[in-house]
Amino acid sequence: MSLHCENIVKTYGGKDVLHDVTLDLRPGKIYGLIGRNGAGKTTLLSILSAQNPATCGSVTLDGDRVWENRKSLSRICFSRELNATAESGLAAMKAREYLRIAGTYYESWDRALEERLVKLFNLNLKKKLGKMNKGMLSMITIVVALCSGAPYTFLDEPVAGLDVVAREQFYKLLLEEYSDSGRTFVVSTHIIEEAADVLEKVIILHEGKILIETDTQAFVDSAVHVSGKIEEVDAAVAGLEVHHTETVGRSKGVTVFLKPGQKVDGNHDVSVQPVSLQRAFVALCGEEAAR
Amino acid sequence: MKRNLKFWTRYTWECTGVVLAVAAVLAVIAVFGAEGLDLRALATVVPYFLCIGAVFCIMVGNSGTQTLYVPLLLSMGETRRNVLLGFHYFRVLIIAVMLALCAVIWLLVPGEASAVGLRSIPTILCVLVIASAMGSIMGTIFVKWKWAGMILIIPLCGLGGGMVGVAGSLVGGNFLTARTFEIVSHLTALPWWLPAAAPAALALDVGFQWMLLRRQEVKL
Repeated sequence: MSLHCENIVKTYGGKDVLHDVTLDLRPGKIYGLIGRNGAGKTTLLSILSAQNPATCGSVTLDGDRVWENRKSLSRICFSRELNATAESGLAAMKAREYLRIAGTYYESWDRALEERLVKLFNLNLKKKLGKMNKGMLSMITIVVALCSGAPYTFLDEPVAGLDVVAREQFYKLLLEEYSDSGRTFVVSTHIIEEAADVLEKVIILHEGKILIETDTQAFVDSAVHVSGKIEEVDAAVAGLEVHHTETVGRSKGVTVFLKPGQKVDGNHDVSVQPVSLQRAFVALCGEEAAR
Repeated sequence: MKRNLKFWTRYTWECTGVVLAVAAVLAVIAVFGAEGLDLRALATVVPYFLCIGAVFCIMVGNSGTQTLYVPLLLSMGETRRNVLLGFHYFRVLIIAVMLALCAVIWLLVPGEASAVGLRSIPTILCVLVIASAMGSIMGTIFVKWKWAGMILIIPLCGLGGGMVGVAGSLVGGNFLTARTFEIVSHLTALPWWLPAAAPAALALDVGFQWMLLRRQEVKL
C-alpha cells in the first residue's frame, strides 16, 4: 500500500532532469524532499501527481497506474507553488474563485478547515491572486493542501515568502492535520533547519538522482563533524566516508557519514560534534559548489 | 466526472452572461442605427446577435481556457481526458443554450422573420459548431505558438470584420430593415456539405486538442 514510482526518467531538450528515480512513499509519514535549486524536486512531484508526463518509468498508487486514473488522482494533491503572473492567467482570478474550484475538484475538501485557515491567515479572498504577495500565495497553497483531504499531499516550497510566525503556524497545522488524519505529506523545502523537527523521513534529491531516502533522525545521527589538527583529523577519519572538508591554517574540519558499526577513531585528539540536518545536507550536496 | 461537469456547467452560465452582454451591446447599436424603434423587428434580429456573441465568447474564451483552466484543472487532479470532455461539454452546452434562447425568442414573436429564423436553426447550429471548433484550434495555436497563432488570427479577424462591414453596407447601416431579413433568409438553405463539415471540424478539434493535451506540462 504505497505511492510508488519506478525508473522515472524526465528529459527536457535532450537533458536528463531526473535519472532513473525509484521511490516508495509509505502511508502515514511526513517526508521532506530536499535538494538544491534545479535538483528536480518540482519535476518529481509533478510526475508523481501525473501533472507532467514522465519520459520513461511508471507511477502506481496501491498497484494502480496513476496516469489518467481519476480514482488514483483523487487521492493525490500536489499544491503547486503559485506564480500568478499575467501570462499564467491566474493573476486575474480571485482567491475565492481559486479555492472554490479546488473545493469542487477535491472529493474530501474540508470546508470548515478552509474557513478556519482563511481566518487564521487573515486572507482576503476578494483579492486577485495577481495582487497578492508571495507569502499570501503560499498561504493559499497551504489552504489547498491541508483542506484537500487527499491521502497523499505534496507541498512545493510551502513556506516561501512566509514570515516566521506564519511558518510556525504552518508546521503546527501540518502536524495537527497529520496526527488527526494520518495522511502522507511530502514537503519540498529549502528552509531545512526549521522543517527538520517535523520531517519523519528525508529524501535528498541531487542532480536528478535520489542520494538518500531514510529516517531523518537516522540520517542526522549518521553524520558527525570532526575537527582538529589536520594530521589528527586525517588519522581519525581514515577509511570513513568524508564530505565537505574545510581547512583553515593547520586546522581541518570534515563531515563524516558513518555506516552502521562505524565510528570515529577516539584515539586521536579531535573534536566530534553532531550536525544538523541542514549541515548534513550541505556536506552531501554542497561539495561541488564549495570546490 | 460529476465534479468536472459541475465546474463546466457553472463556467457555461458565466459565459452565457458574457454572450447576453455582447448581444445587448449589438442590440443597442442596432437600435441607434435604426430610424425608429421597432421592437418586433429588434426581437427577431436579437437571436442572431446572440449567435455572434456565442461565437465571440467561445473563440475568445478558448485562449483563456488553454492558459488558465486546463493547467489549473490538471493541477487539481483531473485527468486530461476529463478536461477535454469538460471543455467540449461546455461548448456543446453553450451552443445548445443559445439556440434554445433563439428558438424561444422567435416562438414568442411570431411572424415571417421569426419563421425564417426557426428554419435557419440547423444551419446556425452547423455554423456555430464549425466556428467554435476553428476558434478552439486557433486559440490553442495562439497560446502554444504565439506568433503562428497571430498570423492565423489576424486574417481571420480581418475576414470577420470585413463580413460585418459588408453586411452593414448591404443594409445601409440599419439592421432592423427588411433587407436584413432578406440576407439572413439565406440561412434557411442548408447546403449538403455543412452537416458533414460540422462533425468533421469537431473531430479535428478534439484530435488536435488531445494530441497536445496528453503531453501537456502543468505550469501555473
